[in-house]
Amino acid sequence: MSTTKGLGEELAKVSLETAAKENATHSEFRLVNTRIEAVGVINENPASEESNDLGAGIRVLYKDAGWGFADTDELTPDNIKETTRKALALARGAARIGSRTSFAKEPVYLDTWKSPLKKNPFDVPTEAKYELLQEATGKMKEEGVVARRGQIISTNIEKYFANSEGSRIYQDLTQTGASIIVAVKGPTGMQRRSIQQFILGGYELLDEMDLPGQAPVLTKEALELAQAPGCSEGKSDIILSADQVGLQVHESCGHPIELDRVLGYEANFAGRSFLTPDQLRKLQYGSKHVNIVMDATLNHGNGLGTFGFDDEGVKAQRKYAIKEGKFVGYLMSRETASKVGENRSNGCMRADTYKLPIIRMTNVSLEPGDWDYDELIEDTKDGILMDTNYGWSIDQKRYNFQFNCEKGYRIKNGSLGEMVRGPGYSGITPEFWNSCDAVCNKKSWTLWGTPNCGKGQPQQVMGTGHGAAPVRFRNIRVFGAS
Amino acid sequence: MSQSSMQHQTPLREKAHQTFDMVRGFARGADEVEITLSSSIGEHLRFGNNELGQSQYSTSHTLSVRLASGKRQARTTTGRLDKTFIEKAVEKALSQAKTAPEDPDYLSMLGPQKYPTVNRYHKRTVEESAEVKAGYVGHAIDLAKKNGLLASGVLTTNADQVWMLNSSGMEASYGGTTGYFSLTMDANNGNQTGFAMSTFTDIAELKPEKVSETALERAKLNKNQSDIAPGKFDVVIDPYAWSEMLFFLTVSASAGYSPDFGMRQYKEGRSYLSGRMGEKILGDNITIDDDAYHPMGTGPTFDGEGYPKSKLTLVENGVLKNLASSRISAHRYGDARPTGHELPLPNPLGESPTNLTIRGQGRTKTPEELVKELDRGLLVTRLWYIREVEPRTKTVTGMTRDGTFLVENGEVKRPVKNLRFNQSLLELFKNVEELTDPVRNTSFTGAALLQPGVLARDFNFTSVSVF
Repeated sequence: MSTTKGLGEELAKVSLETAAKENATHSEFRLVNTRIEAVGVINENPASEESNDLGAGIRVLYKDAGWGFADTDELTPDNIKETTRKALALARGAARIGSRTSFAKEPVYLDTWKSPLKKNPFDVPTEAKYELLQEATGKMKEEGVVARRGQIISTNIEKYFANSEGSRIYQDLTQTGASIIVAVKGPTGMQRRSIQQFILGGYELLDEMDLPGQAPVLTKEALELAQAPGCSEGKSDIILSADQVGLQVHESCGHPIELDRVLGYEANFAGRSFLTPDQLRKLQYGSKHVNIVMDATLNHGNGLGTFGFDDEGVKAQRKYAIKEGKFVGYLMSRETASKVGENRSNGCMRADTYKLPIIRMTNVSLEPGDWDYDELIEDTKDGILMDTNYGWSIDQKRYNFQFNCEKGYRIKNGSLGEMVRGPGYSGITPEFWNSCDAVCNKKSWTLWGTPNCGKGQPQQVMGTGHGAAPVRFRNIRVFGAS
Repeated sequence: MSQSSMQHQTPLREKAHQTFDMVRGFARGADEVEITLSSSIGEHLRFGNNELGQSQYSTSHTLSVRLASGKRQARTTTGRLDKTFIEKAVEKALSQAKTAPEDPDYLSMLGPQKYPTVNRYHKRTVEESAEVKAGYVGHAIDLAKKNGLLASGVLTTNADQVWMLNSSGMEASYGGTTGYFSLTMDANNGNQTGFAMSTFTDIAELKPEKVSETALERAKLNKNQSDIAPGKFDVVIDPYAWSEMLFFLTVSASAGYSPDFGMRQYKEGRSYLSGRMGEKILGDNITIDDDAYHPMGTGPTFDGEGYPKSKLTLVENGVLKNLASSRISAHRYGDARPTGHELPLPNPLGESPTNLTIRGQGRTKTPEELVKELDRGLLVTRLWYIREVEPRTKTVTGMTRDGTFLVENGEVKRPVKNLRFNQSLLELFKNVEELTDPVRNTSFTGAALLQPGVLARDFNFTSVSVF
């Protein structure tokens, strides 16, 4: 039996019994053990850190009207009782101001879920990770290069969940991520090239990424960018690389379909959303080529939004957010589902370690279309290909956005032409997605991992997944960012 | 309930020494040992839609161990402080330190130091009851309800303690409290909205009614926003509006979110400031200090290896004068001296300032006085989602939110729709004409930033949103 699972069972009993004795309407207990190893190199300097964080989060509902949450890393039965009482005290205070909560039904589960893994990253010696990074960053040594960075991050999250309805769920998730960055200082200032990927899976990612093979290619491109012309300003057709489409989906679709922000619970920080309930199943969010799913199941792939159960004990599901361009669904919790007429949550409550669960993206992915990438380039008479995100910004209701990329190429008469540095584009979300006229097919579709999505107060960081392929948009405002 | 009721009975000093002895006992194969023991207690009354929906109480303890053998070193961190877990953490650090590449910059650990005393731990912040704090939130919610608005925000208090020890005899400690009340009142799905916030180290400094009234006043004004054409506008930026934007003055995306005012980054050419020492980079009237001892400051007065922080004037009257430095830089470069700005080691990123203070020359003015001096321009109460566009000029993009107002002849005339800007921070600080007293802002980066409001000319707005 897992230590985390065993301890979780013991402490869950204490917490759930304490909450029941003090008349909580509903209570949940989570014990989460998070282990992270980060190995990095910047120029000649190495750094490694391994952290291990084990703690319990306790959430209670009082009189169906007030929520309270408390967490602790002091895992004795006495302190778990005390922490449960803290959560109850906060719930009682909240109930005095709160309104009646409707909590969507979910079956009771007694289950164990482990993420698939070919090569456990914690079994790979730190030394081997350093060697790989030093080999890759060593291949970036060229005149003009001022920063050579590489990092490998291995994460294991064990979670034991129990609620007052009887669910008892143990999950064991392993994630691996890596990135390399090369920065060149030239006559146009600093130019950067990078690659990054994070998956639910193991060290097999590093074999697929081939960092030492990619490093000289990125270095050559960064040096070329330092001499390349800037992107001209005006209107143009654009093709976005798959990873850039992934981030576009994250910012302009993933966030505005979070039902907590739609309902106003994030108004002070993350903001609100233009996708209000009166628009559900009515708004033509994008063109007919745009199909976006919210899919936490393993069938979708090994993304950072893939799991067995969310942090409210709801089983992973797949639903459409955008179907043939129409806005049809939200990321929901058990509490918010009924507010848009749904009788079940689609399982999007997630917490950073053992902190308070909030509505989060799972894998929010653009489904592949039917274009071969080469055919899409050939079909484009005059445009710009933009590749790899550099910066991203969007207003608090997710209408007005601006992104800029690391590199671009002009497209003339169906062929890629000269390289341009710092290409950027901007727009208004529904206009932008309605200008989409081509999505590439499964051959160029990747499930990208975004490891650093911030939300909540105090802020939490979460990994999300975004499947995407290259996409063409017509007549978009473009500009030169650097 | 209060935060103090959950504090450990064993004082952190005693616990730190016990833990250090235990770590040394387990780390017999290591030449040098450093530990950092941290304790944190937070209470966060988070509300939305006029409901106190996400109240959170949080306690955590962290032990971070750095071990070194020769020039090889490694760090492990654990949230479990029982003997078994500490032993595991030390074993892991030992095995990593054995196989890590040699760090060419490794220096033997720091010896004993003297630290000036600062008092940043306010019992009132720790002991204030959740009921009293809920009353502050309740007042905001009541005010919102009476005016047909929805209140959202957070009232957060934190108590942090840190104890550092190493095998060369260095011992450093810090205890401090911080908090903030951040409030939005809105209606009509955020089409009518107002924002206010206030930070404190001693909760007695907080005037919750003033925060509520400011958010209400702005929300009342900020409805039926007019269309506005983008372009260059003179602006008054409210002191609390722009901590995220100022963060990008000191950090660059171009080298992978690396701090810019550090000696190693400067010398290696990774900073946008590289090669610009002595150059006028900001306006004559702008001075930027890094002052860990400022009376409004927060955080420890020692760095990531326990070295005492010096007060630095980074930019004086617009001229780049100094950089944050460390023992490593002093060892590497003949013209550098340690200033106490190292990050926890091993640290390939380089040094970073931690207590920035932006100030002007002459008498400061109130935000209201700045508005009165604006012939025609915009009053900006909050900036949002800032990202770097171009590193050399420090051009950043972002949006206004929660209240942008057209000012004519020194009077607020009407609200306008939210605007996107693409603005060089270096140009912005050349165009600042007046400044307010600074406010403390710790909500975005966690680092202490003392930021003024400003009146600045020719702020570059590039597009308009639909609300």
